[in-house]
Amino acid sequence: VNLLPLLVALPIGGATLALALGGRRRSANAAATAILAGQVGLATVLAARAVGSDGGRVSHVVGGFTAPFGVELALDGVAALVVVLVPSAVLLVRTATRATRPAAFDALALLLVGGLSGVAVAADVFTLYVFLEITGIAAYALVAAGGGGRAAVAAFRYLIVGTVGATLYLLGVGYLYLATGTLNVADLAARLPALFDSPLVVAGFALTTVGLGVKVALFPLHAWQPDAYATAPDDVSAVLAALVSTVAAYALFRVVADVFTPAFLLATPVVRTLALTVALGSVLAGSVLAVRQTRVKRMLAYSSVAQFGLVAAAFLLVNETAAFGGVVHLLGHAVVKLGLFVAVGAVAARTGARTVEEYTGLAERAPVHAALVGLLGLTLVGVPPTVGFAGKWFVALGAVEAGAWGVVAVILGSTLLTLAYVARLVERMYGPLPDEALRLGRPRPATDGGAANAASPLGDARVAVALVALVAVALGLAVGSIEAMVAPALESFAVAEVGR
Amino acid sequence: VSEFALAPVVAITLPTVAVAAIYLSRSRPRVRELWTLLAAAGALAAVGSMLPGLLAGDTYAVRAGTLVSGVPFAFRVDPLGGLFALLATGLWLVTSVYSVGYTRGLGLANQSRYFAAFAASVAATLGVAFAANLLTLFVFYELLTVATYPLVTHAGTDRARRAGRRYLAYTFAGGVAVLAGTLLLNWAAGTTTFASGGVDGLASASPAVARVVFVLLVAGFGVKAALMPLHAWLPDAMVAPTPVSGLLHAVAVVKSGLFGVARVVLDVFGPVRVSDLGLDIPLAVAATATIVAASVIALGQDELKRRLAYSTVSQLAYVVLGLALLHPAAMLGALFHVAAHGFMKLTLFLCAGAVHVETHTKRVSEMAGVGRRMPLTMGAFAVAAAGMAGLPLLAGFASKWYLLVGASASGGWLFVAALLLSGVLNVAYFWPVVYTAFFEQPVDSDPKPLVEGPLGGTAGDARPAEVTLADGGVPARPIGRETSWLLLGPILVAAGGAVALGLAPDAVFLRLAEAALPTDASAIRGVMP
Repeated sequence: VNLLPLLVALPIGGATLALALGGRRRSANAAATAILAGQVGLATVLAARAVGSDGGRVSHVVGGFTAPFGVELALDGVAALVVVLVPSAVLLVRTATRATRPAAFDALALLLVGGLSGVAVAADVFTLYVFLEITGIAAYALVAAGGGGRAAVAAFRYLIVGTVGATLYLLGVGYLYLATGTLNVADLAARLPALFDSPLVVAGFALTTVGLGVKVALFPLHAWQPDAYATAPDDVSAVLAALVSTVAAYALFRVVADVFTPAFLLATPVVRTLALTVALGSVLAGSVLAVRQTRVKRMLAYSSVAQFGLVAAAFLLVNETAAFGGVVHLLGHAVVKLGLFVAVGAVAARTGARTVEEYTGLAERAPVHAALVGLLGLTLVGVPPTVGFAGKWFVALGAVEAGAWGVVAVILGSTLLTLAYVARLVERMYGPLPDEALRLGRPRPATDGGAANAASPLGDARVAVALVALVAVALGLAVGSIEAMVAPALESFAVAEVGR
Repeated sequence: VSEFALAPVVAITLPTVAVAAIYLSRSRPRVRELWTLLAAAGALAAVGSMLPGLLAGDTYAVRAGTLVSGVPFAFRVDPLGGLFALLATGLWLVTSVYSVGYTRGLGLANQSRYFAAFAASVAATLGVAFAANLLTLFVFYELLTVATYPLVTHAGTDRARRAGRRYLAYTFAGGVAVLAGTLLLNWAAGTTTFASGGVDGLASASPAVARVVFVLLVAGFGVKAALMPLHAWLPDAMVAPTPVSGLLHAVAVVKSGLFGVARVVLDVFGPVRVSDLGLDIPLAVAATATIVAASVIALGQDELKRRLAYSTVSQLAYVVLGLALLHPAAMLGALFHVAAHGFMKLTLFLCAGAVHVETHTKRVSEMAGVGRRMPLTMGAFAVAAAGMAGLPLLAGFASKWYLLVGASASGGWLFVAALLLSGVLNVAYFWPVVYTAFFEQPVDSDPKPLVEGPLGGTAGDARPAEVTLADGGVPARPIGRETSWLLLGPILVAAGGAVALGLAPDAVFLRLAEAALPTDASAIRGVMP
């Protein structure tokens, strides 16, 4: 029996169950937790099976129709990382949450897990769109869960921009269908090479990548993202920051690696240069904007804009090493941002501090939290031997191999840009600044209203964050085993390199 | 050669464990101090246990896994690493005792963080010393930056924060250059593992790429080695507590930069290839400029620690110059100077710290009469300063002798002249300190507002029973006459070390330095005198 469809069916069915239990909040909460735990177990088993199978990949066609016509689901090494990450992150945030959440919230969270897992396993560009929309709808609603005017505005903006992005992607899919007559990923990959110079295909690439770029929040399509992250409740923003953009970037990886294949980028150097420029611009702009923020959550949000620029650049380099670095950085960034957003929420819950200035002297008020924020910040900078370093190393090595010296410079320089905003925070936390700290006093939770200042739904969360920090360091040391796991999925890069 | 050597693992593990132990016993100062001392003694013993083997030509290798594909996370202790590790652990033990006296004497805040970060810094330094390849070295090089940051900003003042920001910006920028160089080396040569006389794979690399790799690596390591114009972080970092300035900013941190340069010249490129690529002369010129310029700047510094910092900048450039000359005698002198400068400069810093604890004096112009009040301390200062200037029978003489022999043998008269001029400048910037301390009276100079009693502080029989210093600090409890033995003891040991190195340079350090040079005669230009 192939259990692959269960990866999507279980959380979506769970969402329905949570809604059905609507009146009894406690039962709904318990059921949601149980389903998430089950999903983690299921994803782990399936991931192990996929990685262990021939070719490192398993697939399943839903409903008995054969491949090009039926809806195909597939799980390879990269998808395996994503399907395990998604429910684990949501479960971790749940355990760190102290606020009581209504059954509808549980249903949305499970729907989100279903949508994200669906994107991970979709082997058909239209199915991918469907799951992107499911993810989006759940995410829009969750952003609004904070209540208040600002959250509503941010959620509405997110909805409009997100829908535009999804629509652009769908338009691109339509072009591809017109050009090739198929929606299946493997089928597209077989038929597209003959049509690389067709304007329809080039337009299809532009529309799908721009659409996904909106979802990933690459500069200059990022404007929705900081507002959405900053105004969402802390538990929601942790999940969004760790998963939603990550999975959109994963979809970008699928489109580049499997649908168009890197050979397309070699055949259309103008498109590749343009896309690389946008990605590198995202690194620079995101970092500069992050340095300028006064609120910690917004700073971290802009940091994501920069880090995803790096990931996108890695996929566009047409180099296997760089693509592997991109996958590692994608995973590493998700883990680090998960930890940071949970930690930031926990700090807000404990001390009410939400701005960089309010973090002054945090090391004395919440030493464990400050240390964890510092450690995760250094991971983001890429201090070895953490996962942040491993990702950067492989992307940079790939860029050197590809002879893309400009990319090398931006990647290495981005270390210093990341340092600029991380050091700003660390300096505040550890520099007691006696007189200034005295003047500020102990910041209390602001009472001037506004969703951004709302009390955090998170609890102390130090165990959860410590666990994440541990994973961030362990992943950096275990990068060799990740390499073996995802290598089969990166074959198209190796093939394109040979043809270079 | 053994596959898994215990000693290097123990040496790195002890200070690492000490970090946790210090944190756990943070509410019990004496236990916390005990951990530091035990870890320091243990690490020194572990390094010491490798010495006979190292001198006999053995190396100690450990492979701890894979860092990234193709690059192992590996250690290999050779004579060069042993020299650096012995220096760092030996002086850590001395500084630990001193730290206890210093922190008590000044009533320093956040002592747990201080001792924990100190132990972490030493662990990272040993990692740098033992690393078997450039990437492993880089890992610890970056961790060293992270571990020392809290020490630089320890005071928590605006000035400390600014210094810390500058420190991070400079050293991380240097780290990026090292990473870029490592990346290119791995790509061009296919390996980053050190090999005596140079990495073979570089032979097939294009000279342009090899030059870029060299420049990136030397510039990156040059930041911590404070090679001008990359030195500006070092004088600012003097805002740190004095033992930090002493051990980290005269021994561990700056010498990890020098050590990186030495590895690049000796074990990545090899002297012959450095010379073939025409990289030796530019590096030597940069080092010479640093030697002279930093000495001149030191003349004008009134704050004692800043004067010492510029002296460090100048003295570190001796080592770079010696390595860049590529003559065996010059390289020998350079490597020996790593140890000699460590002992002498630590002595100077520890003296400056003791004077600060006792009299709250930080400026040279306020030091009149300090020599009479603290004769042993300032005596040690004078001895170490004389060693810096290269007076015979002191550590500095041996290293400068070899440097001069190497410079003249390789025909670089400009370098000989610069070395001699620097010796004169050394006297010029150290003599005023000694003169003011011993031969001026407080009445002759500006009053020292923080000093109490006729001879100042708590000296002599006139010392008051209860003293509270003007800034609210708690005065040290004097066990000896001039200051606490916890301060005086380490000063005398470090100064004794500087003298011993001058009297018998070939006891340990010179032999290690000799063993660290490539044995193959063809790998070096010129011959030993």
